[in-house]
Amino acid sequence: MENLEIEGTHKNFFIPEVSFNAKTGICEISGESFLEDTIDFYSILIDWLDQYINVVKRPIAFIIKLSYFNTSTSRSILDIMNILKDYEDDGGEVVVNWHFDENDVDMEEDIDDFIIDTGIEINKISF
Amino acid sequence: MHYKRDINILDFYGSLDENTLLSYKGPIDTRILQVIGSYLEGLLKESPKAGRKVFKIFIELAQNISYYSAEKSIIRNNEEIGTGMVLISDSINHYIFVTGNLVKNDDIVTIIEKSEIINSLNREELREYKREQRKLPVGQKGGAHIGLIQVALTSAHPLDIEVNPIDDDYSFFSIAVKIDK
Repeated sequence: MENLEIEGTHKNFFIPEVSFNAKTGICEISGESFLEDTIDFYSILIDWLDQYINVVKRPIAFIIKLSYFNTSTSRSILDIMNILKDYEDDGGEVVVNWHFDENDVDMEEDIDDFIIDTGIEINKISF
Repeated sequence: MHYKRDINILDFYGSLDENTLLSYKGPIDTRILQVIGSYLEGLLKESPKAGRKVFKIFIELAQNISYYSAEKSIIRNNEEIGTGMVLISDSINHYIFVTGNLVKNDDIVTIIEKSEIINSLNREELREYKREQRKLPVGQKGGAHIGLIQVALTSAHPLDIEVNPIDDDYSFFSIAVKIDK
């Protein structure tokens, strides 16, 4: 299975940097997320994860370092968290680490809302 | 020599108070979002907490205008873009962020009702409302139904909503949001 690499930009939109590694299972998304077509963008990530979960079937370390995301993106993150939670419930090994600026109280609340919403365990790592 | 002007520029200038940080009226396409967004990010570096909030609120509300304003402009490749107004003013203790745009009268009740629900909830209830709404199927344009809820959460103050009827079909809809420094 191929790795998924998307270069982040700050041009017309704020496209996050994506690095999903099929060998190590380390999947990282960082930067800022505010896109023209959020669903199209995240469906690429979701398809990759589905394939990894169904074919590779190894552990996933999902690392989020988004400093900003809009509400459309938040819907897509919810979908990803649900997929990871389902994988975990089916016996998959999943770790989610979410890095955030300690001054960003709204971000910590957002992470808590994903935990409440999906039941997934998210390690909150402030910097 | 005078060219024809559509407005009295002095009246317009005088109608904006001295705390105005930015005013924009026109189509809100992605370039404008990006340019003003980056400008705000840079400008507000001096107050990181409020700056982050102003930026987040700007993106949500400006994107709402871009997608949902009843007034459209045709720009570049025949792209239809929502038109509206964005104002930011800077006082000692807070920023006030105001947007205005035309809304169809048929849609205005829904927006007012949603705003009233938002303003009636405390923070915990608002978070619960956001989680509830976010689970709904994705709306047109990929919307998550939670833009206004998120704006209220980010601002941590009630939304100040104003509706001015224009004619049988349209009203001018305005939101003012307060962001503490």
